[in-house]
Amino acid sequence: MSYRCLVCYMTLGYPNDEEFIEFINKSQKEGCDIYEIGIPTKYAKYDGPIIRRSYKKVFDEKIDFIDLLKKLPNIKKLIALTYLEDQINDFDSFLNIIRDKFNGVLLPDLLIDYLDYLDYYHKKINEFGLKNVIFTTPTFPDKLISKVSEMSGEFLYYGLRPTTGIELPISPDALVSRVRGIVNNKLIVGFGLSLNDIKNVLKAGADGIAIGSAFIQRIETNGIDYAIDLVRELRGILDEFK
Amino acid sequence: MVDNEEIVPKVWYNIIPDLPKPLSPPRDPPSSDFSRIELLREIMPKEVLRQQFTVERFVKIPDELKEKYEILGRPTPLMRAKGLEKYLNTPAKIYFKYEGATPTGSHKINTALAQSYFSLEEGITHVVTETGAGQWGTAVAFSSSLFNIESSIFMVKVSYNQKPMRKTIMKLYGAHVYPSPSDLTEVGKKTIKENPDHPGSLGIAMSEAIEFALKNKFKYLVGSVLDVAILHQSIIGLEAINQLNLIGESPDILIGCVGGGSNFGGFAFPFIGNKIGEEFIAVGSKEIPKFSKGEYKYDFADTAGLLPLIKMITLGNNYVPPPIYSGGLRYHGVAPSLSMLIREGIVKWKEYSEKEIYEAAKIFAKTQGIVPAPESAHAIKAVIEKSLELKKNNEKKTIVFNLSGHGLLDLTNYESMMERWS
Repeated sequence: MSYRCLVCYMTLGYPNDEEFIEFINKSQKEGCDIYEIGIPTKYAKYDGPIIRRSYKKVFDEKIDFIDLLKKLPNIKKLIALTYLEDQINDFDSFLNIIRDKFNGVLLPDLLIDYLDYLDYYHKKINEFGLKNVIFTTPTFPDKLISKVSEMSGEFLYYGLRPTTGIELPISPDALVSRVRGIVNNKLIVGFGLSLNDIKNVLKAGADGIAIGSAFIQRIETNGIDYAIDLVRELRGILDEFK
Repeated sequence: MVDNEEIVPKVWYNIIPDLPKPLSPPRDPPSSDFSRIELLREIMPKEVLRQQFTVERFVKIPDELKEKYEILGRPTPLMRAKGLEKYLNTPAKIYFKYEGATPTGSHKINTALAQSYFSLEEGITHVVTETGAGQWGTAVAFSSSLFNIESSIFMVKVSYNQKPMRKTIMKLYGAHVYPSPSDLTEVGKKTIKENPDHPGSLGIAMSEAIEFALKNKFKYLVGSVLDVAILHQSIIGLEAINQLNLIGESPDILIGCVGGGSNFGGFAFPFIGNKIGEEFIAVGSKEIPKFSKGEYKYDFADTAGLLPLIKMITLGNNYVPPPIYSGGLRYHGVAPSLSMLIREGIVKWKEYSEKEIYEAAKIFAKTQGIVPAPESAHAIKAVIEKSLELKKNNEKKTIVFNLSGHGLLDLTNYESMMERWS
């Protein structure tokens, strides 16, 4: 048994500047260990409807993302989540903007759409003093999961379902068991996790979980504090597995 | 006598963990205001969906289902085509896995039975699907009747008219059979309005079946393309490996025809995954040139775009195929896993014209006595070509191909081909 990690996803500027910062500050106190900050995109190709709605909302709010990035509190473990497709034309500038506040980048489409350029982008990210947090899914070959698990900075992200926020029927424990033996790194599991799934993946050997859609859904319906309640609840579950 | 236990596998095999690259996930188009992936929850049986998205290398075949497979006649025979070898005077040994020996006459029953079984387990009372040539529809009609479930089948209109006997068999099994495009769905009505003589396509029939299932809260069974169908079909290749082992043979060349990819994948993937064989050939139709003209890109699996976008070799989801007689090969795309293996050069492809496959079917019927399904005749044509190539180079290699179905319900089509090509 060891400490289990809570990775909290939040869309940059959601639901607005102030409440976004409020969520980060409060959730940190309640036990969130690492933050994935979603850089808004027009085409969230591997995200489900809830996160897509959050992107739409922040675009509608006309939030100044660069300004907001500067206002982010100093947090030790902050990871920027963005599609490489969005940044590919000026990736250096993007890395330059985030390098002061963030300590890593997660590119969900890196291995899916740009596998042949993995080494190039991995090196590039490291050159900017950032960690390359690698995203994998069960549709990745075992050999590749094994290889990138060692390259991945901070942890290896394993998205169990084909998209975020949708509880498709799967066997989370079987999926985690398949890769646990070949992942030589911290294994963080996400994508559509229910409370039941969380217990199962932790039992199967996951080092932590990543949650995002559930926070956004709670903010949509009952506001920030309702999402913070969930952070507290998740921390409790994770601590049962200490 | 060999015990069937030695041949029929206890697990299905999934090639995804052994692919050379990640399989791109299904997704929605940029402008989408709803999640097609979420929609899958409403239309597919839960366990089938679970198997689609729980990617494990091996999946246990439930004991009850395994018994049903044996009742159906599994293992199907692995036969040596000595008549064909003699006719071709080739040094090659030719074996075929004969899926036409199942009661419904094709490989399609392998996943139909599994999906019907899981549907019954979930308490589903009515399943819906589409069918091109009629082989998948027949398999669903039979498997659902075996489990006492009602079935509705949308059959591509051109096949509905060309293959009246398929329709009769499905009805004998108790299925409701509708020609597609039909006036039972919005997709069908729209298609008929635009072109009253539309011959139909598998993509349209698929969209109609999904819409019909959604509207009536029935469940949709998937005949090909999706990984779960190929998973169930892996019983073909796994059996063949065991059968070849028992006779001490090691194949060099594996050949199968491709509609959506489940017959080829089910047969060849266990060989590829186990690194058995040196050459894998997927065979399509020259009239539906998806290998030579298709693009590798995200596209809808169905015409109406109700299903998620999947990355595959495709002629486009609005492609209207010409009414060739190999109805099973008229689908616009190729299963994502097979598409990737083709792109990576692990699986080679061939395309043949209807005239070429007609000649091949005739040779096979004359030398082996079996009338192949026109779809399977594409594989036979590739086998003949390869055998002659081996003869030219005096190479003693072993070819194994999947004879995915018999053609006894395609005799009207053969009659017509005879008139056109003799």
